[in-house]
Amino acid sequence: MDPIIEIFKKGVESSQCDQKDICMVTDIAYHPEVTDYLGMDLFHTSRGRAIPFATGMKLANPRLKLAVFIGDLATLGGNHFVHAGRRNMDIHVICINHYHYKKVGGEYAPGVFPRVPLSPYGSFDEPLNIPHLARSCGAVYVARWTLLHANQLSHAIAESLRKTGFSVVDVISNEPDILDFYFQHSEIKNGEDTLNVKIVPDGKIIVGQFVDRERPNFIDSYNEQMTKVLGDKFVKIEV
Amino acid sequence: MKANPRDVFTGTYYIDGDVAAAYGALAAGCKFLGGYPITPSTEAAEAFARKAPYVGAQFIQMEDELGSIASVLGASWSGKKSMTITSGPGYSLMMENIGLGAAMEIPFVIINIQRSGPSTGVPTSTGQADIMQSKWGANGDYEVIALAPESPQESFDFAIKAFNLAERYRVPVMFMADECVGHMTEKVVIPDASEIEVEPRRFYQGKKEEYIPYRRDQDLVPPIVKAGDGYHLYITGLTHDERGYPLLDHRSLPKIEKAKVIHKKSTNPYLVDKIRKNKDEIIEMQEDHLEDAEVVIVSYGITSRVAYRAFEQARQEGIKVGMLRLITVWPFPDDRIAELAKKVKGFVVPEINYGQIVFEVDRCSHGKANTILVPHGGASVHKPDDILGAIKKIVKDNKKYEQVIEYTTTLEKTIFKGSLTEKIKK
Repeated sequence: MDPIIEIFKKGVESSQCDQKDICMVTDIAYHPEVTDYLGMDLFHTSRGRAIPFATGMKLANPRLKLAVFIGDLATLGGNHFVHAGRRNMDIHVICINHYHYKKVGGEYAPGVFPRVPLSPYGSFDEPLNIPHLARSCGAVYVARWTLLHANQLSHAIAESLRKTGFSVVDVISNEPDILDFYFQHSEIKNGEDTLNVKIVPDGKIIVGQFVDRERPNFIDSYNEQMTKVLGDKFVKIEV
Repeated sequence: MKANPRDVFTGTYYIDGDVAAAYGALAAGCKFLGGYPITPSTEAAEAFARKAPYVGAQFIQMEDELGSIASVLGASWSGKKSMTITSGPGYSLMMENIGLGAAMEIPFVIINIQRSGPSTGVPTSTGQADIMQSKWGANGDYEVIALAPESPQESFDFAIKAFNLAERYRVPVMFMADECVGHMTEKVVIPDASEIEVEPRRFYQGKKEEYIPYRRDQDLVPPIVKAGDGYHLYITGLTHDERGYPLLDHRSLPKIEKAKVIHKKSTNPYLVDKIRKNKDEIIEMQEDHLEDAEVVIVSYGITSRVAYRAFEQARQEGIKVGMLRLITVWPFPDDRIAELAKKVKGFVVPEINYGQIVFEVDRCSHGKANTILVPHGGASVHKPDDILGAIKKIVKDNKKYEQVIEYTTTLEKTIFKGSLTEKIKK
């Protein structure tokens, strides 16, 4: 059983959202093989386009709650992440950092520093500070946890689902056999400035809840603007 | 079903093809447009954005074309008729997700106002060179429907037709207008809603527990549901069985009848079969004077209007020429071309590219008739004389089918002296 799906399921249950309204949208690298027991719809989309796919779903049916699973975001579909944040589109991104795309066969990801088949001599790239990117793009909720912090992670997923707006949960997730590594190298700092949470070699993985704020979301702003300009003639999209 | 009166802006207008297409889409019940502006299609998106808030439709300018098409797929799963509007380079960016749409069997429409290419090409001028791309653009086997309007009035009518076909067959429909049609301003009559027939989305009617996402009706098209209605969908771009679950066993991919267990059957064969087996219902063309024709002009889009001039001139000179205008470019009317090839001397295919549909015509004529291309590099339309010259060449040569036909980009090699290209050289 995929631990993230298990944690996600707990998060959904404790968020008290109607499970029927929740749709999972995943991009190419991540798709759970069994979803029947989750009791929700799953859309496994193309490479990196999960966020705009979810955007379309949300706009056409504002009742839905979209849980969007993406891989190391800075590669496929990073631009969509930026603009969904800017619009404050009401979707809930769960960014799963596998350190590398182990399901595919070892491409290296601009998240962290592994030694994988596509970087046989080690990676020298600067990693991307995903919580900071999310905050600067306008996310209303940003948290990061590792797989070790299963309770905090499911709580963060529940919190993010309760928000209306662009929320990001950054999950540091690799094989469960390195949980001990997480235990030794992670440090909980709730409310830490996202500038300081970049993952660096030999440094601590800073985890915690970093951002929780309110911003007008896209659909509300759109409705407000149209009502202001068109008055009674404005017709909202029907659910 | 009749159109919703709220969505139809009944009246007589003097508008261009882009705007007419947007009004047509709205009349067909389109409720979502995710797009990114690109010349020469921007006017269509503008018209949609102006009218959308009055009819409960949503326009969003996405961050790019990749996002636009992905949002359209999502919106369509949410139960709304959806489309995007684009032109050449944007269309190229969309290809991957067109494949996804075809694999997931999502009904949606792409309005592609073709510019001349390749690449950025000439953004403000016309072309018809995306026709093959519309059929073969994404990876893998799938079928689409493509329509080619020739006037703003047809832009309106075909936009409705495009949505009807998309909903009817759960397939991406390409609305392949060219810049000339898109930017041509003409009289457009938008009829009363009671006169517009629209295809409602074919929602699943049975019991919720018994729903299987890709179980097909008699016509090979599965009924659809909305996301978030408790059907526990598993929808993927991976090759899947009728439950939607990934099917990565190579033995499931070949012909469907051979598979023993129902859930081991891939849905892939249906992606083509639902179009190929229903093609008689889908294919539409306009025929003129084909009964006694010796030469047939096969054309589509703006080129057919130019060809009509050549057709009239040839008829005046006593040449027995007929017109076959493709309304649905894809699926291609193979049978009709084959039938005509048996009794005519040849086909003349004018198109604003260096040869695309001409290969289809040549293929379908099975060596029974000669086919001549009247090429055009784009940025304007043919001269009727060029098409007339090709007609005369077929009549004069009166040759048997030549096995190897040299399709070149220049008129003087393919057709005759004194062509447009030669004049430019002088």
